[in-house]
Amino acid sequence: MRSMSAKNRNRVLSIIGLAVGLAIWEVIGRLELSPAFPPVTAVIGAITEVWTSARFLDALRESLISIAIALPPSLIFGIGVGLLVGRYRPVEWALDPLINTFLSLPLVALIPVLFLIFGLGRGSILATIVIYTFFIVVVNTAAGVRTTDPQIVEMATSFGAGEQQVMRRVVLPSALPLMYAGVRIATGRAIRAVIIAEQVIGLIGLGGLVQRLGGAFAVEQLYAVILFIGLFGLVSMEAVTAVERRALPWVIAPEDTEPAFQGA
Amino acid sequence: MIEIEGIGRRFNTRDGGSFEALKDVSFSVKDKEFFSIIGPSGCGKTTLLKMVAGLVKPTAGRIDIDGQTVIGPGEDRAMVFQQFVLLPWADILTNVGFGLELRGMSRKESREAAKPYLEQVGLTRFAEHYPHELSGGMQQRVGLARALAVGPDILLMDEPFGALDAQTRQLMQEDLMRLWEVEQTTVIFVTHSMDEAAYLSDRVLVMDTHPGRVREILDVPLPRPREESTRRSPVFNELTSHMWHELRGMMGDPTLPAPE
Ligand SMILES: Nc1ncnc2c1ncn2[C@@H]1O[C@H](COP(=O)(O)OP(=O)(O)OP(=O)(O)O)[C@@H](O)[C@H]1O
Ligand SMILES: [Mg+2]
Repeated sequence: MRSMSAKNRNRVLSIIGLAVGLAIWEVIGRLELSPAFPPVTAVIGAITEVWTSARFLDALRESLISIAIALPPSLIFGIGVGLLVGRYRPVEWALDPLINTFLSLPLVALIPVLFLIFGLGRGSILATIVIYTFFIVVVNTAAGVRTTDPQIVEMATSFGAGEQQVMRRVVLPSALPLMYAGVRIATGRAIRAVIIAEQVIGLIGLGGLVQRLGGAFAVEQLYAVILFIGLFGLVSMEAVTAVERRALPWVIAPEDTEPAFQGA
Repeated sequence: MIEIEGIGRRFNTRDGGSFEALKDVSFSVKDKEFFSIIGPSGCGKTTLLKMVAGLVKPTAGRIDIDGQTVIGPGEDRAMVFQQFVLLPWADILTNVGFGLELRGMSRKESREAAKPYLEQVGLTRFAEHYPHELSGGMQQRVGLARALAVGPDILLMDEPFGALDAQTRQLMQEDLMRLWEVEQTTVIFVTHSMDEAAYLSDRVLVMDTHPGRVREILDVPLPRPREESTRRSPVFNELTSHMWHELRGMMGDPTLPAPE
């Protein structure tokens, strides 16, 4: 266990690291070596302007709507399928090849296929989010199910629990820590997925905005949007962790629950 | 009354053969009796107890409880496990009520109904703690309270104090005696400790091994209530040395503690 002072020291080191990084960026920007590296001060200057512009807020709303439509059902079905895969061997045998294929494929390669199927619109964006999140939740939930202590199952059985009760009262709570780890990763991946898919279309959402700003060589604004996406991802995953801490009081440090599979 | 009639159990082995863990075991346990089972490691004590619990099916013979053949777990029985087996995600009160919850009570009702049992084992102030915050002895008290809470006629205990240190173990034995005298349940108690068997029981089944069989059933003619002084009486010492002699004869098992 890390002591408080070590934690503080780590924090100080992070801040120093960040400061040095920003300083180097600033110097490179000032040297005007490349139009891709505007000075960091110029980017920070662009932030307020960009983050409050109607264009940005519209794009953000579009991206959020896609995530809000696709992520919850993907998580719910992923958890459901993961519970079955983890508990029942025949289901595992039936679905394992499919799941492993999706986990090892570079998903970017599938995006053109999705666009062929769903067209150049929201449908393809939603499908991208689903393939980026569903399988990750399935494998992590299934791995969580497999951590179930057979002694607890036997104990519950001795008190008369049937399979349904074992599932609900023993297997599900046992699976929760890894399940949450899966949800945390899926949340980060959903943001990645929406940006990638929107970039292909190039018109809507934050991905579309990135694409257009890049095309227009509006580098400062581009960086402002990218920074936002990065921060947004961080904050979302932190939010999931906060929920996790409240929901799993017996797990001492949820962030220590290493996910079974992070995905490519 | 529990009647165990010609029980046998075979397990399949990896090489495709089969292994006889128990063979032709017959005995009966009277109502409200404290009945212990002692025997070398691997002689089938746990398997036998799980059969009474309805968790393992015999491959020969049958078990009748009050004339009804056991086909699975039932409301008349509750088990206490060597490794306590508490739910790490639930607080102590929910753990004690877990058996009741599985038998149809809501979480709220079961927690309420669990309170007197938590009190019986002296852990009321730990009601909202989690299992990992409790010592082994306290965790096993929770395991015991959970079993008592469902109001079983028969308590099945598989080396319940085996994972505890010697002093805690002795305290737990005394507490169990007190509780048993109040609760008036039949107890089948598996143990490795001859002292424990003699101190607690009305009768002790000594098992033989390879395959597991009944070697003998000993009466324990010690007066009740059992007290601290019981452990120093000549009858007690005679009994434990007899068991030691029997068990040592079966196999030089180093896990068997010699009587003090
Ligand atoms: N599910 C199983 N599959 C195969 N063999 C088993 C199974 N359960 C028990 N056995 C075997 O049956 C024998 C009896 O096991 P059991 O656990 O009942 O012994 P025990 O008397 O409780 O031993 P201990 O005192 O060490 O707890 C052992 O040889 C064990 O390996
Ligand atoms: Mg055993």
